[in-house]
Amino acid sequence: MTDAPMKLTVVGVETPKWRKQLTSVVSHALLIGASILMLYPLLWMLAASFRPENEIFTSASLIPSSWSIDAYFRGWNGLRTSFSVFFTNSFIISILSVIGNVFACSLAAFAFSRLEFRGRKIWFALMLMTLMLPYQVTLIPQYVLFRQLGWVDTFLPLVVPKFLAADAFFIFLMVQFFRGIPKELDEAAMMDGAGPWRIYWKIMLPLSTPVLATAAIFTFIWTWDDFFGPLIYLNKMSDYTVMLGLRTFTDSTGTSDYGGLFAMSVLSLVPIFLFFLIFQRLLIEGIATTGMKR
Amino acid sequence: MSIQNVASAPPSAEVEKVSGWRRIWQQDAPGYLFLLPWFIGFFGLTLGPMIYSFYLSFNHFDLLTAPRWAGLDNYMRMFTNDPKFSASMRVTLFFVVFSVPLKLAFALGVALLLNRGMKGLTIYRSLFYLPSLLGASVAIAILWRQIFAGDGLVNKFLSIFGIVGPSWISNPNYSLWTLIVLSIWQFGSPMIIFLAGLRQIPQDMYEAASLDGASKWRQFWKITLPLLTPVVFFNAIIQTIEAFKSFTPAFIISGGTGNPINSTLFYTLYLYQEAFGFFRMGYASALAWVLLALVALFTAFSFLTSKYWVHYDD
Repeated sequence: MTDAPMKLTVVGVETPKWRKQLTSVVSHALLIGASILMLYPLLWMLAASFRPENEIFTSASLIPSSWSIDAYFRGWNGLRTSFSVFFTNSFIISILSVIGNVFACSLAAFAFSRLEFRGRKIWFALMLMTLMLPYQVTLIPQYVLFRQLGWVDTFLPLVVPKFLAADAFFIFLMVQFFRGIPKELDEAAMMDGAGPWRIYWKIMLPLSTPVLATAAIFTFIWTWDDFFGPLIYLNKMSDYTVMLGLRTFTDSTGTSDYGGLFAMSVLSLVPIFLFFLIFQRLLIEGIATTGMKR
Repeated sequence: MSIQNVASAPPSAEVEKVSGWRRIWQQDAPGYLFLLPWFIGFFGLTLGPMIYSFYLSFNHFDLLTAPRWAGLDNYMRMFTNDPKFSASMRVTLFFVVFSVPLKLAFALGVALLLNRGMKGLTIYRSLFYLPSLLGASVAIAILWRQIFAGDGLVNKFLSIFGIVGPSWISNPNYSLWTLIVLSIWQFGSPMIIFLAGLRQIPQDMYEAASLDGASKWRQFWKITLPLLTPVVFFNAIIQTIEAFKSFTPAFIISGGTGNPINSTLFYTLYLYQEAFGFFRMGYASALAWVLLALVALFTAFSFLTSKYWVHYDD
């Protein structure tokens, strides 16, 4: 009979079960509330893209009174140039960027994490410093340079820097990963007469697929989302990316076709969302291990 | 060279003693060859442009004619005779000072909630992370413009309670706050970093503390927060630099103008206008160097003060 109070006095700070359950319920309620609040705008935009035009500004609900995919057809051809061109351009730029970034950054990361050479520490420190550099400082000279080369109005200013490992963040990400791969593997290969290139190509890359995939996905998403670069370098509508197309849509239509605008906005998010669905674990681990931006 | 000498030198030392070109080729060349793309990028796209940008900041340059030496004119104009510069500086600092701490507070708060061994942790974590992944997109900025418009989603909800809300994006008192809210909405990625940090804290510290009768509140201030300071520090630096660089949302929401009454004229937006709207490339370069100085000062200040508040276990 005196069992319960006894226990309380012995382990004085043990919280009773009902309180634990209460806090659990309250926590879940808070988190579910926050999730709904955060995702509501996204779901609302999705709903708006399917509802009749006249309902977009009168309804805050998530269920359209009637469903229609008209807005997608209107939006797709809503500008002088069709969105198929913009999507193609975005895909070309993003995929080339992925190839460039994965290749160039892994080369640099291999040198920094595995090879011995004079000046390595200094170069590594300089590479880390470029992580903090606001891009505005190099923006204008880069523009002057690319203009001299005749690269304005081509995809080159957006893609070539990726092949030169300009995004130090990914070098850093890969260095962190490469350092975790046992050095004995390289040493064994070196005993067998393998040179640095073979160690990189045959040992490091195959063992590094998680970090290479993470870098590839983030490169794709950030290039896909990039607005500033295309804004500066691409002036012809036939070269526009999806982001520039959307911006033109907001400028040119004013208030006339919000259904089409939302439909294209939704489509522009689809590739990112698919990556999120399929690779969320990889992405979240990538962020957690390095700690990072955006 | 005597026979004895050759015999006594171990083969490995022989290789290391090889000097001159052969040594460079064997020891240093692979590293530099692997770094070749990065070197071209570093010198051609980073260091070279930095130097040229510094030079341009002392010039008038319209891209079409050669740069004309201007001495300190650009910097003088900035600090004495440019209301838009001071406006953009105010807007950006306001944005940084409010968005970063609020975003980090949300991130930490939710991470603490999730770290209590909640069921469905991975689902919540993914849901909260999604806005971080989508948030940089033009589509989200467009959505935001609509949500906070006069007839937007926010006012629809307010009208349920009989409140008639203003047009948040075209009212200079609120327009910047819509961007701050957009930034806070993306608290997911610092939250994930906080979660990873929280998991590093050894559980037995809490067990020991609760045996000593320390309340949860006290445990948070005496154990969790001190041990988490390296992560707080990291997140604060990254988020602050990101906030200084923010461009797309302000551009889309204000249609590239920074209006109403310059209330969303981010520093980066002003720099873009000067460089690519008015082709004052020299002035824009000077603006970029002031931004760099600001970011560098902030980073240096953070690192210098970190030893007083960031807890490193030796």
